[in-house]
Amino acid sequence: MAVDYSAKPLLTVDGLKQYFKVSKSFTVHAVENVSFKIYPGETYGLVGESGSGKSTIGRSIIRLYDPTAGKIQFDGTEISGKLSTHDNHILRTQMQMIFQDPMASLNPRKKIGDIIGEGLDIHHAYMNRAERAEKIQDILAKVGLAPEHASRYPHQFSGGQRQRVGIARALIMNPKLIIADECISALDVSIQAQVVNLMKDIQQETGTAYLFIAHDLSMVKYISDRIGVLHLGHLLETGTTEEIFSNPIHPYTRSLLSAIPAPNPIVEKQRVAESYDYKTSGIDYNQGTDHLVSGSHYVKCTDEEFAKWTKRVI
Amino acid sequence: MSEEREQILKIQDLDISFQTTAGTVHAIRGVNIDLYKGETVAIVGESGSGKSVTMKAVMGILASNATVTNGTVEFSYHHADGSPETVNILEKDKKWIRRHINGKRIAMVFQDPMTSLDPTMTIGKQIMEGMIWHFKTPKKEAWDKAVQLLKEVGIEDAEKRMKNYPHQLSGGMRQRVVIAIALSCNPDLLICDEPTTALDVTIQAKIIELIKRVQKERGISVIYITHDLGVVAKVADYVNVMYAGKIVEKGKINEIFYEPKHPYTWGLLSAMPNLDTDDERLYTIPGSPPNLLNEKPGDAFAPRNKYALEIDEKADPPMFQISDTHYAATWLLDPRAPKAEMPAELKTRIEKMKKEANEHGSRL
Repeated sequence: MAVDYSAKPLLTVDGLKQYFKVSKSFTVHAVENVSFKIYPGETYGLVGESGSGKSTIGRSIIRLYDPTAGKIQFDGTEISGKLSTHDNHILRTQMQMIFQDPMASLNPRKKIGDIIGEGLDIHHAYMNRAERAEKIQDILAKVGLAPEHASRYPHQFSGGQRQRVGIARALIMNPKLIIADECISALDVSIQAQVVNLMKDIQQETGTAYLFIAHDLSMVKYISDRIGVLHLGHLLETGTTEEIFSNPIHPYTRSLLSAIPAPNPIVEKQRVAESYDYKTSGIDYNQGTDHLVSGSHYVKCTDEEFAKWTKRVI
Repeated sequence: MSEEREQILKIQDLDISFQTTAGTVHAIRGVNIDLYKGETVAIVGESGSGKSVTMKAVMGILASNATVTNGTVEFSYHHADGSPETVNILEKDKKWIRRHINGKRIAMVFQDPMTSLDPTMTIGKQIMEGMIWHFKTPKKEAWDKAVQLLKEVGIEDAEKRMKNYPHQLSGGMRQRVVIAIALSCNPDLLICDEPTTALDVTIQAKIIELIKRVQKERGISVIYITHDLGVVAKVADYVNVMYAGKIVEKGKINEIFYEPKHPYTWGLLSAMPNLDTDDERLYTIPGSPPNLLNEKPGDAFAPRNKYALEIDEKADPPMFQISDTHYAATWLLDPRAPKAEMPAELKTRIEKMKKEANEHGSRL
């Protein structure tokens, strides 16, 4: 789907820092100076290993955490500080989240219809019961579930169906941005593909933007327009999916890409994945600045590193 | 591989049912698996296909509501004095299995390293536990051996780490510790039940390389349970594709990847995300795995199979032989069946894979 990059960005994250104070002398720097933009109708994939701060970014954006520093703008409104009741109200309808584990994020004592309809109830988004039921039916149909599923409980569903419920719950408020935090990691490969396809279809239809957080680059490739690679809280490399996959610059990105096993036994048996160790690599993320590679492809590194890495590729 | 292959494990016609409140679930329906010394067999399938249950039967750790209705699990090993012995694990009682098999000759690596380690014990103690229990190894000796093992699985500062608790280690390190525990009693067979599913890709690559290295050094056999075909391509010699408690296709790794015959294997291969192509949509196998609670006659895969024939609804297909090692259970291979080709996209993909493989072959 074509994304209009000349439009005003839907979400602007600028210099986001998120620290967690563990004790008097120890603070975890979970997110360090991360900036990126998401345009309307776009999918931005955020990749990195566990502990790289990708979920923290998602949670900071949706205001589950209070950012230590930095600005977050959503739809032209600053949302990182204190918000008026009105802004808060708008934000809570227009930004939604899908969580990783669908079993843990659905209330086991509520029926699916009520889980999905909860947002409608809170925001009084219907005139009468019939309208509420109709809205729920519409959303269920959109995510590929049957109307009678509304009266069932979460445990009666399979993993893939539960994740569809999670998506339906996020969609019902017609959000402009959905933050999908590892929403396919807990699913089987064949079910993952179904959910990814569903999310793509929904984007075509409604034009919502996604912030897609994952550690599996092979799936991210299918859904994202642009990708950001995150490690130890630093956004190391960002660019369109094409740019990242065809010309990865940062050694960490290269190691991530080479770690994906290819389903080709003769090739795969001989291949050794590129390894990368921050401690021994001699790279200091704090020294790095953004360098433009081409188009919208940026790498965070020092001048010498940039010269060295780009030379190797060409 | 030599001509004289020593058989380690022979599973024949294994049939397992579970008694649940909702009724009897026929989870394993006639599984046959052969494993030879030093080789790796992968079992592939969706969750709920019965991969783990089969392996639990081998370990004698089935849940209490499971009944084995048919079949044998023959495991061959050598006594300390070198005399060979073959036992049917299903006939032995739990106590005997615990003494002679579990941990000692067959060791298992589970999916989630956090739940398979004891949070209240230091990792050193957990590695030593098996040696002391099975072989009455003196404590000092066990300690030295545990340090050795930790070094072998690639943990730095092994002496210091011995006194750590599981929560002080990262996910990848924990899985290394689990592997060290599994190796502590020199098992003949290592069963890896989705050992890398809970881990990141970069760590997954390292753990797989570790298991491969250990296998080569020690010459043990490995059974690999996974749903990731990329991992299978990297580790396996033989592949068993499992669906709804049955093996639907088995063969050498190259036969499964370059000449798949069963529609389900086609589906699995097509659904693998491919880094080289830029198709917009991912291929998916329609529908979801069947509920084995209400067993229907015919092929369990038929409702999701667009190549299904009329007979698929009436009778379960037998295993058709394709080559000496390659078998598939689909009526499409019956001489009376209409000719069916694999999907065109998969065909081009396999052609491309073969070309890449040739390039790699010529470089050798």
